[in-house]
Amino acid sequence: MRPLLELRNVTKCFGGLVAVNNVDLQIEPGRIASVIGPNGAGKTTIFNTITGIYRPDAGTIRFDGQNIAGKRPDQITAAGMCRTFQNIRLFHNMTVLENVLVGAHTQTPSTLWGAMLRTRSFQRAEEKARQEAIRLLRYVGLPAGLGDQLAKNLPYGQQRRIEIARALAANPKLILLDEPTAGMNPQETEAAIRLFRRLRDELGVTVVLIEHDMKVVMGISEYVTVIDYGQKIAEGTTAEVRKNQRVIEAYLGRSAPSEQGPVGEGS
Amino acid sequence: MRLHRPNLLLEVLRPLGQLLVFILGASAAISAITVLTAFLIRGTRTDMDLLQITLILLPQVLIDGIVLGFMYATIALGYTMVYGVLEFINFAHGEFFMFGAFAGVEFLVWMQGQGWLPDGQGWLAYLLLAGAVGVGMLISGSISVSTERIAYRPLRGAPRLVPLISAIGVSFLLQDVMRFYQSTANGAFYRTFPTFGGFSERITLFALPLDDREITIAIQMTSIVIIVVGSVMLVGLNYLVNATRLGRAIRSVAQDRNTAYLMGVDVNRIIAVTFLIGGALGGAAGVLWSFRFTRADPYMGFFPGLKAFTAAVLGGIGSIVGAMLGGMVLGLLESFAAAYLTIFTRGAFGAEYKDIFAFAILILILIFRPSGLLGGKTTQKA
Amino acid sequence: MSVARHSQLSPLQRLLQGTPGLWIVLAVAAGASYGFVQSPRSLPVRLLLIFSLLLIYFMPQKGWIKLLYGGGMLLIVLPYLGLFNPFLMELGFQIAAFATLAIGLNIVVGFAGLLDLGYVAFFAVGAYLWAFFGSQQLWHTDEAPGTFTIFATFPFPAWWFWIFLGVGVVGAAFTGVLLGFPVLRLRGDYLAIVTLGFGEVIRVMANNLDKPINLTNGPQGITPIQRPPIPSFFTSPEFLEQLGQLAGRPVGLNDLYGFFFYFMAVAILVLAIFLALRLDNSKLGRAWTAIREDDVAAVAMGVPLRRTKLAAFAIGASFSGAMGVLYAANRTFVSPETFSLTVSISILVMVILGGLGSIAGVVLGAAIVTMLNIDILQTLSLQLSSLRQGSGTIPLLGIPWASLPTQLDPARYQRLFFGLLLIVMMIFRPEGIIPSQRRRLELHEEPAQEPLAAQLEGELEPDHKLES
Ligand SMILES: Nc1ncnc2c1ncn2[C@@H]1O[C@H](COP(=O)(O)OP(=O)(O)OP(=O)(O)O)[C@@H](O)[C@H]1O
Ligand SMILES: [Mg+2]
Repeated sequence: MRPLLELRNVTKCFGGLVAVNNVDLQIEPGRIASVIGPNGAGKTTIFNTITGIYRPDAGTIRFDGQNIAGKRPDQITAAGMCRTFQNIRLFHNMTVLENVLVGAHTQTPSTLWGAMLRTRSFQRAEEKARQEAIRLLRYVGLPAGLGDQLAKNLPYGQQRRIEIARALAANPKLILLDEPTAGMNPQETEAAIRLFRRLRDELGVTVVLIEHDMKVVMGISEYVTVIDYGQKIAEGTTAEVRKNQRVIEAYLGRSAPSEQGPVGEGS
Repeated sequence: MRLHRPNLLLEVLRPLGQLLVFILGASAAISAITVLTAFLIRGTRTDMDLLQITLILLPQVLIDGIVLGFMYATIALGYTMVYGVLEFINFAHGEFFMFGAFAGVEFLVWMQGQGWLPDGQGWLAYLLLAGAVGVGMLISGSISVSTERIAYRPLRGAPRLVPLISAIGVSFLLQDVMRFYQSTANGAFYRTFPTFGGFSERITLFALPLDDREITIAIQMTSIVIIVVGSVMLVGLNYLVNATRLGRAIRSVAQDRNTAYLMGVDVNRIIAVTFLIGGALGGAAGVLWSFRFTRADPYMGFFPGLKAFTAAVLGGIGSIVGAMLGGMVLGLLESFAAAYLTIFTRGAFGAEYKDIFAFAILILILIFRPSGLLGGKTTQKA
Repeated sequence: MSVARHSQLSPLQRLLQGTPGLWIVLAVAAGASYGFVQSPRSLPVRLLLIFSLLLIYFMPQKGWIKLLYGGGMLLIVLPYLGLFNPFLMELGFQIAAFATLAIGLNIVVGFAGLLDLGYVAFFAVGAYLWAFFGSQQLWHTDEAPGTFTIFATFPFPAWWFWIFLGVGVVGAAFTGVLLGFPVLRLRGDYLAIVTLGFGEVIRVMANNLDKPINLTNGPQGITPIQRPPIPSFFTSPEFLEQLGQLAGRPVGLNDLYGFFFYFMAVAILVLAIFLALRLDNSKLGRAWTAIREDDVAAVAMGVPLRRTKLAAFAIGASFSGAMGVLYAANRTFVSPETFSLTVSISILVMVILGGLGSIAGVVLGAAIVTMLNIDILQTLSLQLSSLRQGSGTIPLLGIPWASLPTQLDPARYQRLFFGLLLIVMMIFRPEGIIPSQRRRLELHEEPAQEPLAAQLEGELEPDHKLES
């Protein structure tokens, strides 16, 4: 099968620091894949490079048949890829619904003239976007009636869900989730895992996530890529990766990366 | 742990040497370009020998440019230091400069009233001038520190534009406060710098024969004084920041305020000290400015302030050496633009455009190299 | 009315509820109008008039009632009162004109969060467009200022004003895009300085583009500029006669133009309010808010940064361009002085004083600042100078008024007031007098300065934010 997302020799440097070093990555459509690695390994930087927030210093990134390296983030989103952020970046002073509506920016066909003249088609587009946003909020499991709250007034776990709804509003083929369960308690994590599965099973969205929580990684990933010091050190199924000597070293070699402990002991 | 003891002589001499080399290089480059341009377009004017005129004007234009450059550099340091520590454009810095100018002038006017201003040259004249610079620094420094305390500190941590708008307010307020004070106290809103000490005398350096004429290259005492005072300020600041404990604290706050705080640096004090130093330098520049242009008025801070800011950005904002070099570049460019634009364009574009010349440079720099000439590449944080 | 709603009302608003409220507001408005007829030149009465408009805005009544009251005041009562003192129409024109500018700037600063300190440049573009084409300047492009005599043929007939209203909109929007294109990727504070520079560039150019081609006539400015023709019905002697009887004084063409410009400015203002409200509630408006809040997240959600910011610049500029054309026609004279930094800042003060992002607030801000500028300070100055002529002494101090220096003219200390207003607002009420809902929450609910330790902890350990 042709990969939906394909990175070839992607490199990203910050001054002297090579944050992403010559990384190859292939994501098949319809997969749930994970990117793991110790703190500071360069996982988030890979996401930022894929989504166009950083421009890769070298390498090619192909998404859905087109080369997206060097394109602007909004163009990449319009091409069918959307993301969440490690440290939640909601629009704090907008309502929950408005947040999701911003996510639907590329999907809402309204024009300047339409907005000024309040044309029929403008109103229809707005109404449709609104309905869709409400539907998405319900889909990610937010209680009804939360839409008019300011995003910043909601608890952390719900903010994570809003971020996912906002990303889904862009109608992506591929969704990138950066540590989506960080800071969640076990029940919330369980629910989140179920949600990620449903995204793939019901909506047909390919899911890539960065995770530290090995329970999550081992529980749902069909493919795992391990990054250390900006380089890919292993990839394969969860079972393969778990046995990989370099991976174990990467986690044990440094002071324990997180409370979950080394990969081998997970799940 | 004990760091190596900085060598005072080295700390003083190195930046001075760098500055000298830079001034010579920049002057040579801009002169060469100008003369070359004059040579290439000499055919466009039949009424005068363009090349000759260009050469005759050149020495004076260079000296003016360097003098202007020293003043811009001294003002630019205030912007750059505050920006380095707070990432905040102190819009009111031009007004600190203006207050310094008035303070210096008032001091000398008062001395004049006492009959203590000498007419001729001599150590007393220099002492009084130094006194005026000192008074200017003192007043500007205090205004700067109080402004930070009253109008900026309460806004630390607010969205970026909030303190900037407050600074614009301070700038407007200070202009009219000074105007108000001058109008009520003196009946006019500007002040003239007293003439004394024979500073307007010119010293002939040498004479150059050119065709049938002879160009004498002379330099005014004023210019020499400004260059000397400016150099002292720049070198002093460089020493302070790079070779003292206080300087280290300032640099640490500029690097990372939170970490510095956790390391036990009194961040508020350091920010206040930064404003004090920046303001004082601005005040010194103000006195020099009114000394050079013989006048102080409440609105004098606007253009020099903006140009000095441009200089700071040009050299890479946050960088002290950058501010000095940026100031120098801007001073030279402006002086050349003012002198040659009219001649080269047959009067179509006059010296009036010299003020917007700086903005053109600012815009170009910010667009193509926002980190300035000396700054490294910066990447936006996601 | 529910209890919850009730408790949100201020004491003043509670007073204006229901039928009694309607009568109270009516009484205030009628009282102010009566006062105006009695003493048409009194400043307090003018302030009372403005205050009654404010009451109409604030009274908790049905929308159509407020519209009726407001429309009645603006379209019937004020013009009628304008018959007694034409200055009222001038004041109304200026307030409406500056309110339009403030709404345009509000789109840029309040909605999109881009601090533009050179906003007056777009005003200048509109004004100079009509100044150049609506005067005889076109005949004199090869003559230096002051060397030519003006003769009476205009290159374009006066009714072209209407076309130029559109040209001004497009021209200013185009200038906005032209400026925005290179500079909009700059960070907020740099953008502020660059736009300020741009404002100065436009002013310096207006000052100096009298050579090599005389486009602007330099510092002397361009005059006379045509005003649009008024239909002959209004200018007929009978009609003027009737108006004169109403007013109790002869009414001439100049008075008519006073009314004309007042109505024009109010019409444009209403249109501007309308458009701004609609835009705020659209995809574009949400995109503006999003980039103001977090531009990285916005662009990652597919909002094209450059285009969205350019739209804010262009739309904000276009309001200003239309007003520029109208202003040039109103003054029949345009010179670089009208477009100084002080004007840009005073428009900014309007926006900030009223409330960033809040349309009602911005209009109120424009009313206050404009009143301060052209009415209150001037009146104070006049009174001071008349006191200075007399032989009285300052109460309490015992100093004779006459010894006050003439330099102490309140009208010359605009910058002092603006500066003070900006600082005080930023420190004590950054969200403005009538805050937009969003801004109030943004600026006040969050603790402005979390203790450092808590901030750091938050970064390392997000768990404390968890719901149980
Ligand atoms: N904008 C930036 N400028 C400079 N260095 C950066 C920048 N962003 C990331 N880095 C550096 O690049 C390296 C990789 O960072 P990155 O955030 O990608 O790690 P990560 O794998 O996501 O770690 P974590 O698990 O902690 O989220 C780190 O050393 C980091 O300090
Ligand atoms: Mg990360």
